[in-house]
Amino acid sequence: MSWIREGELNLLEKISANILKAGPMPKHVAFIMDGNRRFACKKNLERQEGHTQGFNKLAETLRWCKHLNIPEVTVYAFSIENFKRTKEEVDGLMELAKQKFEKLLEERENLEKHGVCIRVLGDLNMLPLDLQQLIAKAVVTTRNHNKCFLNVCFAYTSRYEITNAVREMAWGVEQGLIKASDVSEALLSECLYSSNSPNPDLLIRTSGEVRLSDFLLWQTSHSCLVFQSVLWPEYSFWNLCEAILQYQLNHKSIQKARDLHRDEQAVEQLEADRACLAEHLQHQGNNGKPADAQKRQEALQRYIASREERVQDFLHALKHKRNSFFHDLCSEMVLN
Amino acid sequence: MALLYSLLWRFLLVLVRVKRAVVSWLQIRLRSWRGRLWEGTITALLLPVAVSEFPDYQKKANPNVNVEPVRGNRAVGSRARWLSDGQSLEKLPAHIGFMVAEEELSFTDVANLVVWCMAVGVSYVSVYDNHGIFQKSSSRLQEEILRQQQSLLGIDESKYDVELLNNSRDKQQHFVVSCRSTVKVLSPEDGKHTIVQAAKKLCHSVENKERSSKDISVSMLDVLLRESKNIPDPELVVKFGPVNSTLGFLPWHIRLTEFISLPSHRNISYEDLLRALQRYGACQQRLGQ
Repeated sequence: MSWIREGELNLLEKISANILKAGPMPKHVAFIMDGNRRFACKKNLERQEGHTQGFNKLAETLRWCKHLNIPEVTVYAFSIENFKRTKEEVDGLMELAKQKFEKLLEERENLEKHGVCIRVLGDLNMLPLDLQQLIAKAVVTTRNHNKCFLNVCFAYTSRYEITNAVREMAWGVEQGLIKASDVSEALLSECLYSSNSPNPDLLIRTSGEVRLSDFLLWQTSHSCLVFQSVLWPEYSFWNLCEAILQYQLNHKSIQKARDLHRDEQAVEQLEADRACLAEHLQHQGNNGKPADAQKRQEALQRYIASREERVQDFLHALKHKRNSFFHDLCSEMVLN
Repeated sequence: MALLYSLLWRFLLVLVRVKRAVVSWLQIRLRSWRGRLWEGTITALLLPVAVSEFPDYQKKANPNVNVEPVRGNRAVGSRARWLSDGQSLEKLPAHIGFMVAEEELSFTDVANLVVWCMAVGVSYVSVYDNHGIFQKSSSRLQEEILRQQQSLLGIDESKYDVELLNNSRDKQQHFVVSCRSTVKVLSPEDGKHTIVQAAKKLCHSVENKERSSKDISVSMLDVLLRESKNIPDPELVVKFGPVNSTLGFLPWHIRLTEFISLPSHRNISYEDLLRALQRYGACQQRLGQ
């Protein structure tokens, strides 16, 4: 089964899509695709068949999202905690992933036509090497596509992601690119695996569970959360519409909360900059503060500019490091 | 055509809002009707004890609950009932978070929730709103909790020591009410901000060559966050209000938290809380397996 589904919506779906599109639409939707095994159990299928049908549903959902003008989708494919499952099931899932990424590489031209960019978020080092290489190949091949984005969280948990971001910043400090005092909320966000995406507007979890299970905890703090009771392989266009309607009902109040948070963050950053400058000046020995307000202001501006420059250099280096990780995996693959 | 769609969209939104309002109105009606029926039956059966058993229904009839005199046996009766309710639940959260996502906050209702949680045996209760209003006026909340504790549980203030642990630097309010329960007032500051502070600390130690970036692990960060604020992970968060979002509530801690949504915290009754706790009791976690 392929990643890209062709085909239009039927008339009723089209009309409903147009009605929804008259309101504010989410730009980025995240899915916890829960319920594959329960679905298999209910239908007396093999567990693996449940996972396969789950994947097919993903391809279908991507088609709906395209018609609803949702350019970015993030899915929780495999959690680090899932390694605790039976060896048989983990191996089955790895095999399924391998097949799907091979298939994806075969469909290269179609992906290019639709401008689909695939990103994989997670610690690839935990995966078997051949799967790592396939993933790297898929990521590198679709890197420059920019119409729709699919982020697949694989060997991922949010706490691990946050910790990894802290580790990257500590690496930056070790390399002398940034100072420990440059660490901020905005910088941490930039060091997450999801740094290239805006935060999701809407998070959907299926199968009636009402928790986040360590998925995008940082990124969804001002997202609309929708918990639906349908099992993932049974997810329908109408379920998606219902979730979007929920988002639209929540849109105003969430936007307000986001604005509030942004303002608070800006104040916090300014305070941090002031404190750093004061400390810096104290070190220079002129008793903490330059004489008049104007000079103080100028010194602050200079400090902010230099901090921003450091941060930009660091982020550039980080991006380079991550890109070369994928490139190295790809070239290893060619050598093999 | 676009205009037509836009009109239809507006109409749809109104329809959903009306549906929501009707459903929640019906729920309240049904509840009070059922409550009255129940109360009636019990009154008939156990005439003398009955009134004392359902203080929250009394409260509805008489909204000014604070001026009600505390009658010893009434309080003891409800306390015993709450405790047995707590014991009859399949599992009880050790930390329950109340998140209020409404414009108007009612301190009395939140205080009631806290007191009921203490009565059923929850050892850690946190209260959150994304404007940080509860935290700014935490002394008022504390007073309100004490008052409700007296009126609902009949606990004499002089007998139970109420401690106020004031973490003066960031105005963290954290107080121990009675010997068993801890109440914590949270704001967005305790969320991402605290994670960033921990990250800064780790980066400083890397800067001073005390550790290498490779040593940083999930458990290290977790321990560091626990040291600074000592907030356990909440097993259950009850969210009040129409907004479906965590609005910055402790992002690190809510990894496995169950979220239960209730329409409003105003005039919330003990039965509503009990129902949420029962729903939590029925949730199963597979922890990745």
